[in-house]
Amino acid sequence: MSHTAEHEVHHDGGTKEIVKVTVILSVLTVVELILGFWMMGMTNEGLRLAVKGSIVILMLAKAFYIVAYFMHLKHELKNLIMTIVVPLALFIWFITAFLTDGNSFRNLRNTYDPHFKEQSTIKVEKKEAPKHEEKHETKHEGYLDETRTTH
Amino acid sequence: MSTTTTATTPKLWSGGKSPFNVEYGKLMMWYFLMSDAFTFGAFLISYGTIRFSTNGWPDPNEVFKSFPFAPEGVHAPLVFVSIMTFILIISSVTMVLAVKAGQNMDKKGVTTNLIWTIIGGIAFLSCQAWEWNHLHHEGAWWGMNPFLNADGSASSTNFTNYFFTITGFHGFHVFSGVIINIVMLIMTLTDKFEQRGHYLMIEKAGLYWHFVDLVWVFVFTCFYLI
Amino acid sequence: MSNEAVLHAHSDVATHDAHGDHSHEHHHHETFITKYVFSQDHKMIAKQFLITGMVWAVLGGLMSVLFRLQLGYPDATFPWLESILGKWAKGGHITPEAYYALVTTHGTVLVFFVLTAGLSGTFANFLIPLQIGARDMASPFMNMLSYWFFFGASIVMLSSMFVETGPFSGGWTAYPPLSALGDASPGSKTGMDLWIVSMALFVVSSLLGGLNYIATVLNMRTKGMSMTRLPLTIWALFFTAVLGVLSFPVLLSGFILLIFDRNFGTSFYLSDIFINGVGALPNEGGSAILFQHLFWFLGHPEVYIILLPAMGMVSEILSVNSRKPIFGYMAMIGSLFAIAILAFLVWAHHMFVTGLNPFLGSVFVLLTLLIAVPSAIKVFNWLTTLWRGNIRFTPGMLFAIGFVSLFISGGLTGIWLGNSALDIHLHDTYFVIAHFHIVMGVASMFGMFAGIYHWFPKMYGRYMNNTLAYMHFWITIAGAYMIFWPMHYEGLAGMPRRYYDYSIWESFKQFQDLNRFISLVAMIVFAAQFLFLFNFFYSIFKGRKLTTLNPWEANTLEWTTPIHPGHGNWVGEIPEVHRWAYDYGKDGKEFIQQTTPVGPDESHH
Repeated sequence: MSHTAEHEVHHDGGTKEIVKVTVILSVLTVVELILGFWMMGMTNEGLRLAVKGSIVILMLAKAFYIVAYFMHLKHELKNLIMTIVVPLALFIWFITAFLTDGNSFRNLRNTYDPHFKEQSTIKVEKKEAPKHEEKHETKHEGYLDETRTTH
Repeated sequence: MSTTTTATTPKLWSGGKSPFNVEYGKLMMWYFLMSDAFTFGAFLISYGTIRFSTNGWPDPNEVFKSFPFAPEGVHAPLVFVSIMTFILIISSVTMVLAVKAGQNMDKKGVTTNLIWTIIGGIAFLSCQAWEWNHLHHEGAWWGMNPFLNADGSASSTNFTNYFFTITGFHGFHVFSGVIINIVMLIMTLTDKFEQRGHYLMIEKAGLYWHFVDLVWVFVFTCFYLI
Repeated sequence: MSNEAVLHAHSDVATHDAHGDHSHEHHHHETFITKYVFSQDHKMIAKQFLITGMVWAVLGGLMSVLFRLQLGYPDATFPWLESILGKWAKGGHITPEAYYALVTTHGTVLVFFVLTAGLSGTFANFLIPLQIGARDMASPFMNMLSYWFFFGASIVMLSSMFVETGPFSGGWTAYPPLSALGDASPGSKTGMDLWIVSMALFVVSSLLGGLNYIATVLNMRTKGMSMTRLPLTIWALFFTAVLGVLSFPVLLSGFILLIFDRNFGTSFYLSDIFINGVGALPNEGGSAILFQHLFWFLGHPEVYIILLPAMGMVSEILSVNSRKPIFGYMAMIGSLFAIAILAFLVWAHHMFVTGLNPFLGSVFVLLTLLIAVPSAIKVFNWLTTLWRGNIRFTPGMLFAIGFVSLFISGGLTGIWLGNSALDIHLHDTYFVIAHFHIVMGVASMFGMFAGIYHWFPKMYGRYMNNTLAYMHFWITIAGAYMIFWPMHYEGLAGMPRRYYDYSIWESFKQFQDLNRFISLVAMIVFAAQFLFLFNFFYSIFKGRKLTTLNPWEANTLEWTTPIHPGHGNWVGEIPEVHRWAYDYGKDGKEFIQQTTPVGPDESHH
């Protein structure tokens, strides 16, 4: 067993590594939050998209650090790493195809469903949020949010 | 990689032992987490798909802007959720420490760190409960969306539908993680692992807990930030 | 153990778990309950899966006979139907609701319960430990749970047949809004709730099973059994498990969202709905196509979950009974791998006419047609394995050859359907029915029959009756072609699927006789399956007894176990493997088992 412990430490880089990764994760989160605050009230759509993109990249970086160090994957054998990482590549096409088709569905509706288009252009004046007791109504009325019933 | 690994590499796949140097339980946990990643992935991708097929969407900063004990109408976006995020990250760190202590057969270390992890999990769940309750008071629930789109037009209920479904499913995972950790704590205190001579169960529970943290990274980004 | 001493603790544990000395387990006292009911022995669990699958196959087949009765004889009345189905066949005529319920349940049951649980559940459980040289699965307990979740799913599905409003009737794909709105049809009420519960249990069952199969194949192979010495059955079952573990969770997510739509007033899949008698629904903003995406993200891999085990077993059986090594072993593995990957990339070819983005559709066409490459590799490898072989026409072999034939005939029509331009015409016609029944349904059933006939001696220590088996084979293969071949013509003529009565359409009246012919053959083929069932159960108790360990003179490890292997499979040490599984006709020897050490003057393969 002593051999094992030694072996593990040799592999892990020890508590130092944990502290390091914790700091990295915290910094990444703080940067994400700063970007999030910066994005508020941003009017430039292109810039907004760029910020969102960088937030996603930071998210993936965080995911990498959690999986690689906290979940210890980086210190497993390469074979095991491959069996975990390779199937995750399926997400690339999973995400691409779904989002592309979602986007296409919106374009279709904007082109052929005038009601759908119109709906999204009408501004609703802000109303007071409904009070709690109004919520336990019959199921079908429950679907409607109060703001929409106004028009 | 250490010398032991390279020495055995040529024979790794030839049977008679694990090619990955892990016991089957850990392997199964990894593959279970992978399949669970597809469950969460499917949820988040569905959310993305619906969002892409909708013209407007509420601004998260207008929705998640409250803070417990703060006066009504306070505008503090991202503050509460960042606290939740840090709670989960820190509980993940204590879990790593518990796993590490387990590898060193340090019962005391395992116990202390597990307790901290459990406290972190419960704290996270409490935060979530408060947030859900608060949103519910504002009139948000499955099938009900009091919030407007960022451009002021009426919003579909799918914003709240997805929010409650996905954070609920994540919360359910946190909850089961807390239960698992409590079981681990009891097993540690009753010397189950000492008798077995190893703390491998803690490692598996740890994997699960980190996965919960991992999912939160995605949920946090998808719902609160972008 | 010397080389393991250098590994750290984890692998020591793994080694003990995997290869620890279980031989003492033979002395365990086994009660009826632990031996036959809550058994943790992989062989018993396999038999449980098989027999439950057979029960469902009979029920599902019977349903098809009932709705074929309607399609073949739309004007006739059968008073006896009313006496079994009651109000579902008023006046001896199956009602439209009952017809749709039958079609739906037939699809669900055959796809999931028979060809997923019954096929991969049976043979993965039975063959993986035996062929890789393991005492049992990685986790026998989870394995047992896997069966009992399946059993629970079966019970719930069965109970849905008896509810007042009938079982779910919106098609096995459960597209919303029919599946999401209770008001949409009678079957969408309680029947659908039970359907979802049953499927959720089934997903849990297949995840438990799949994780176990993967961990077992990777971690518990006996000494010398490298991945490239595995029989192709194991490779196929391994990829099947991978497909299941990665795709079933997506279906589960889809179902969870569906449950919310049904019960909690959400509108994930609903938008702009008007129901007759109810009025306009407030659900807005959802997308029914989203459900189809989620469903087919499982649904397409599911096709290969059904097909791959059959492919693997057929590869093994063809090689054993041709007395030749399998042709292109590595190519077979490569093509299995390619199919497993592509299975995840092509799902939207089921959705070309849903309003899917046509450009995206063309990408899916490309990816779909790529599947033809590994499929063709496999077909040619099977044919070249048979080529100039010393073929023994055992029943298992006949069914394996039948599988190859059906896979070719059904696979070729897949190339038609994979083209979105052609699919616009062929979508939802009988052409599709013909295609998937031949390539996936009947072909996989043939793989399953081949597996049962081939491994029956290992399962029960007795042979099945050959004469009955030959009759079963010839009636089934001839019948399968006679049922499904004509459907291609009907489909090309535009005859849509899922219709209750075609006789009222001028354009489809010409098919009346053909439909009657199909129905007639369907009934004959269904009846012929009782030859198999009788043979199976009779042979368990009265079949000719095995006198030799290795009746087919095969190389793989399962034939080195005792005729009636106990829990733990091998008495004493587990065997060590020295060669791949396909040394047939090598160096003048007819077969060399995997346990035989490589001789000094042996030629290389």
